[in-house]
Amino acid sequence: MDQLVYELRSLVHSYGDNTVVSIEHLAVRPGSILGIIGPNGSGKSSLLRLLGLIERPTRGKILFNGREVAPFKDEARFLISLLPQEPFLMKRSVFNNVSYGLKLRGNGGDIADRVSEALTWVGLSSRDFARRPWYALSGGEAQRVALAARLALKPEVLLLDEPTASVDAASAQLIKEASLRARQHWGATLIVASHDWQWLYEICDEIRHIFKGKIFGTGRESIVFGPWQEPEPGKWVKVLSDHQQLLVPAPPNQEAAALIEDLAVSESEPRAGTDDHVLRGIVSRLSLEKNTGQVVATIIAGNLPFTVGLTPQQVQERTIFPGKDIFIHYSLERMKWI
Amino acid sequence: MPSGILFAVAFICAVMEFILEGFFQAFHLLASGNAETYSAIWATVKVSSYSICCSLLIGIPLGFCLGYFDFRGKKPLRTVVDTLMALPTVFIGLLVYAFITQRGPLGNFGLLFTLPGIAIGQTILALPIIIGLSATAVESMDEKLRIAIMSLGANRRQLFISSLWEARHGLLAGAIAAYGRVMTEVGISMMVGGNIKWHTRTITTAIALETNKGQFGLGVALGIVLLAIAFCVNISVSFLRRRV
Repeated sequence: MDQLVYELRSLVHSYGDNTVVSIEHLAVRPGSILGIIGPNGSGKSSLLRLLGLIERPTRGKILFNGREVAPFKDEARFLISLLPQEPFLMKRSVFNNVSYGLKLRGNGGDIADRVSEALTWVGLSSRDFARRPWYALSGGEAQRVALAARLALKPEVLLLDEPTASVDAASAQLIKEASLRARQHWGATLIVASHDWQWLYEICDEIRHIFKGKIFGTGRESIVFGPWQEPEPGKWVKVLSDHQQLLVPAPPNQEAAALIEDLAVSESEPRAGTDDHVLRGIVSRLSLEKNTGQVVATIIAGNLPFTVGLTPQQVQERTIFPGKDIFIHYSLERMKWI
Repeated sequence: MPSGILFAVAFICAVMEFILEGFFQAFHLLASGNAETYSAIWATVKVSSYSICCSLLIGIPLGFCLGYFDFRGKKPLRTVVDTLMALPTVFIGLLVYAFITQRGPLGNFGLLFTLPGIAIGQTILALPIIIGLSATAVESMDEKLRIAIMSLGANRRQLFISSLWEARHGLLAGAIAAYGRVMTEVGISMMVGGNIKWHTRTITTAIALETNKGQFGLGVALGIVLLAIAFCVNISVSFLRRRV
C-alpha cells in the first residue's frame, strides 16, 4: 500500500475559545482527489490552511509523507501549495507573480518557459499578460494568474479553496481544467473545498463533509440545519418553505444539524399506513460519481437540497431527469445529529 | 487711506522684499559657487544621509516586528513610539550632548562638535518616525499576502523580505518624512555640532546665525536652498516609486 500523503491525528485548531477544526483522523492517499463540502464557516478554509502549512495546529499532528510537518519546514514547503479563496497577487507584474515561487526554489534557466507554460494552462497568453501589472487584471484573470503561480511549481499537493467561487463561468471552466492538469501531468494530490457539488462528484475520488470543524460522511449524505420545531409534544420537525415537514428525532439543541443517510426515491406517494417518511421534491441535477460510476441526484424539497445515490439502471428505468417531481423516502433510524 | 491698511501694505511689501532678495541671493550663492554655502550644503547632506541610513537599517526591522507580530505590551509600545515621534530636537541635543561631552560616558570617542555626533542625534530623531510609519505600513498589509507568500513556499527570511517589498511604498513615505525632519532640524545640530564654520555648520544652523546677525536675505536664501534640496530628494524618490 502506498504511503499516505497526509495523515491527520487528533487535530484541533482554535482561535481563542472558538474551535474551528477538530479532526480525530483523516488520511489522504497520494494522487487522489479529495473533495470537501461544507457550509460557510464550517472550517474548510481553516483546514486547508493547516494542510497548506500556513498555520500551526493548536493540538495534534499533521503527517506529510509519513513525517510530522509544521509551517516553514523544508521537507514540505516546496511540495505543497494552497490557492486561497480570494486571489491575492503581489504588487508586481504577472510574470513576476507567477515566477515568484520558482525563484524561491532557485529554479534558474527555465523560469520563462515554465511561466509561459503555466499561463497557457490557465488560458492566458504569456505574450499578452506576462508584463501586465497586478492591478490591470479582472477578478477571474487574477484568480487564474494565482493558479498559474501554483501550477508552475508542479507541487506534489495542490490545495484549492473555493477556486471558482468568485469568477465567471468561463474562468471557472478554465480553472477546473487547469486544476485537473496537476493530477494528470504529474500525479499531484488535489484537495478541493468547493460549493460546486457537481464538479466535485465528477472529479473526486473521495468526498467528505465538514461541519463545525468535524469531518464526516462520504458526500452522499444530506445535511439539514435547524431551527427545529416541536408542533406537538415529542414530535420534532423541520418546516420547509413549502410547508412540508421533515420529521426528525429530538435534537440535542437548536443549532444541531441532522445528517441523513440512505435516502431513497420513488415516483409515487407511499400508501397510507406505511412507516415511510416522505417528502415531495423535484430533481434539480444528476451527477456521475467518478469512482463508483453511480449517479448522484440532487433533489430540492422546499428550499433544501437532498442527495440520493442511484445506479445508472435506476435512473434509466425510472426515467429520472432534472425537473421531474419525485418522492424522497427517509428513515429516522438513518439520521444522526452533528 | 486708514493708517492700519497702510501699515499692512508696508509690512507685506517688506516681507516680499525679503523673499525676493532671498531668491536673488540664493541664485547668486549657488551660481557663484560660494564656498561657505556649499560647505553648509555638503555638511547637511552628509549628516542627514548618515542618520537616515542608520535609522532605516535599525528602524525598518523594528517597525516590521512592531507591525507584524502580536505580543503582550504591543499597544503601549506603539503609544511610546508614536509619542517619541514628537520628540523635541533640543531635548535630543541635550541628551546626546550629555553622553558625548568629555565628562560623559561616551566622551572618549571625541564625538562632540563633529558631524558623526550630529548624526547620532538625528538618528535618534528619525528612528521613532521610521519605526512608527514602518509599523503602520506593515499593519496595513493584507493578511492574504502572508498566506500567498507562504503558500508559494517561502521560508521566514523570504517572507520577511517579500513582505517588506510589498510594503515598499509605505516604507518610502516613512523614509521621506524622516528625512524631511532630519534635514530641517536645528536643535541637535546647534547643540551637538556647535555651528562651527567649514566644519559642522549645516544649512539650518547657518540660517539661525544669519538671522541673528540681521542678514535676513541670506537666511531666506539658505532656506530656499534647503527647500531645493528637499525638492530634489522628493523628485528622485517619486521617480524611484514609479519605477518599482
